[in-house]
Amino acid sequence: MSRWRRYRPDQQWEAYLFLLPSFVGFLIFVAIPVVASLALSFYNWNLLSPPEFAGLENYSQLLTNDRVFRKVLFNTSYFIVTIVPLQLAFGLLLAVALNQGMRGLEIYRLIYFMPVVTTIVAAALVFQWFFNRDFGILAAAIWELAATTGLPVRPPDWLNDPDWAKPAVVILTLWKNTGFTMVIYLAALQGVPTELYDAAKVDGASPWQRFRFVTFPMVSPTTFFLMVIQMIGAFQLFSEAFVMTQGGPAQATLTIVYYIYQMAFEFQRMGRGAAVAWVLFIFIFIFTLVQTRLQRRWVHYEAGGES
Amino acid sequence: MQFKLWQNRFGFKALIVLAFAALLVSACAPIAPADDGGMAAMDDEKVTITWAMWGSPSEVATHQSVADAFMEENSDIAIEILAEPWGDYFTKIQTLWASGDSSVVPDVLFLSPIVNYASQGVLENLDPWIEASGYNTDDYWPSLLQYGMYEGSVYGFPRDIGLEVLYYNIDIFDEVGAPYPDDTWTWDDLAAVSELLTDVDDSGRVNRYALGMEGGKWMIWVMQNRGTALDDMRNPSRCALADEGAVEAVQFFKDMLDSNYFMPPSNMGQAGGDAAVFQSGQVAMIIQNASRVSAFNAAGMNYDVSVIPIPADGQRASAAGGAAWVMSALSDNKDEAWTFLSWLQSTDGGQRIYTASGEILPALQSTAKSDAFLNSGQPPANRQAFITEGENARMGRIGYFVEWSEINGSFISPGRDQILIGEVSVPDGLAAICEQVDAFLADNGFPK
Repeated sequence: MSRWRRYRPDQQWEAYLFLLPSFVGFLIFVAIPVVASLALSFYNWNLLSPPEFAGLENYSQLLTNDRVFRKVLFNTSYFIVTIVPLQLAFGLLLAVALNQGMRGLEIYRLIYFMPVVTTIVAAALVFQWFFNRDFGILAAAIWELAATTGLPVRPPDWLNDPDWAKPAVVILTLWKNTGFTMVIYLAALQGVPTELYDAAKVDGASPWQRFRFVTFPMVSPTTFFLMVIQMIGAFQLFSEAFVMTQGGPAQATLTIVYYIYQMAFEFQRMGRGAAVAWVLFIFIFIFTLVQTRLQRRWVHYEAGGES
Repeated sequence: MQFKLWQNRFGFKALIVLAFAALLVSACAPIAPADDGGMAAMDDEKVTITWAMWGSPSEVATHQSVADAFMEENSDIAIEILAEPWGDYFTKIQTLWASGDSSVVPDVLFLSPIVNYASQGVLENLDPWIEASGYNTDDYWPSLLQYGMYEGSVYGFPRDIGLEVLYYNIDIFDEVGAPYPDDTWTWDDLAAVSELLTDVDDSGRVNRYALGMEGGKWMIWVMQNRGTALDDMRNPSRCALADEGAVEAVQFFKDMLDSNYFMPPSNMGQAGGDAAVFQSGQVAMIIQNASRVSAFNAAGMNYDVSVIPIPADGQRASAAGGAAWVMSALSDNKDEAWTFLSWLQSTDGGQRIYTASGEILPALQSTAKSDAFLNSGQPPANRQAFITEGENARMGRIGYFVEWSEINGSFISPGRDQILIGEVSVPDGLAAICEQVDAFLADNGFPK
């Protein structure tokens, strides 16, 4: 212990020294590009000729005169309102099921978590075949049914029908990420004191009531955390659509981030792409702020002193 | 205890500082000092030309053999290859150009579309070089050189012509007893034979489609029926897809699609692309350029090619376009770069080697009509089909102006998807595309 006392009270430079390597990386690869992209959003630049100052044109075009951007906003909203609640619901459901003290918990946990660490490109390619109408395994079952029973059933053309392509992307995303919410919920559930359940049982609470009035409030901080994280994730949906549907059919799965990519790297409109990126940032910022405000109404933090 | 002793002896802080210093030094050290200059000086002042392209490993091997052949003939020039996968190539090249440093920008590059780069002033105008050396530009297929031109000057030499022909699987044709396609075929013949070739279960499941083609090639039908995407593909004032010829053409192929004759393009993409479905027999015919020949030959397929059927009073309309070799305006060694470039694009030089590799249909007619192409001894037998399409090739498949990629990517392709899916009728869908394109053209100050 005596060693520590020998340090000067103002001794901070070691800390900065330790921080420096990651700080340099943060500066070069995050902070500077972020500032640069803000500046870029006020210019027209195609990488090859010098940037031209455009003022607010990139933003005003986007908000007033860009049909594709409106479509992209709609698509992204669709993904947020489907993916976020479903992911939380499935994650909690699986976590509660696995938390029943069943044997082989580790194995199930591993199985459900595996998609999370699977490369999204590989997964999306496999799902592309999975969904295919002519030879996909999903469709094959329905074709088989049609052939044997003579019923006029037809498998949906998942990836080539705008009405089905969005659900296909949702399914892939759920498959990929539900393991993550499950693992976080599982950890939260294991932190719920058993006394509370015992007390609820003594009071005659049914299993549903125990879930509704004990489990649910006790994991609400976790729900809040996951909701914020997943919503940001859904706002930034890209790889799934990029690999599996290429944003199609007919722009049905074109998301905001995909649009940034298209603008900047396919249409060589760096400034416009940067403007979309900043609009996305503002959306995420507002939504996260609103969620943080609303949490007071439903997130239950167990007071530290009481336990 | 031991740890503490050890700390005291060496001084923990000193160790950290040392470690960090090492890190800093290694991070900041320049990556391999560029002493190529010194090397070249020792080597009899050999000039190094950097040559950039995209390509698969086997294509890069062909490029390397071309470079080797050139260096054998020109001992004073060294060619250094910079190859990147297609996906990263353009971003990489643009970034190099954006740096403005002539020592890192390649001297000779493979690019497409030329107009996007020429309009930014990063490409060397080749007109003076052509004039000074007497390079023969008449040997290119008609309209092809247009693809490498911007405002009346040549900025790039297309390496090959990406014109399409109809590939057909002889085994499947024999199996159903269908006549082989020839140059008298019209769209009606195509539809009639497609009926024979298509194989649909009672349940409605398609086992085999007659025809497969990438969605992006749809303009071939429109142009065969004397339609066009924009009224002027260089400086448009309006969208022409809602005109009669275009509507008729798209309707014909929408009908082919609805009859299960034509494999939905997105479905084909998910199945691995036209080469995969043709090889597996999921389609009996595909419309594609010469790039598939080497793969089908390697797979030992029993196939041949024919010209693409046209409407009764239509025209042949294969695409006169192909990625082109260009010279960077920033090059420090333009004389040597021109020597290499003009050698690349000659029948005795690069064109012959590429053609012999079976990867391309050469840009030069003299190469295409030489034994290297016509009598290579390999399938397809009917190589004359390429020549016939080549002599009738047309420009106009794509727009020759910068905003084309956005017009196509944001409006035309998604609109075409909607039509092919059946969300809108053909005339309504094309009218909707044109409405959006016209608005875009007006907003962006066209015609310029």
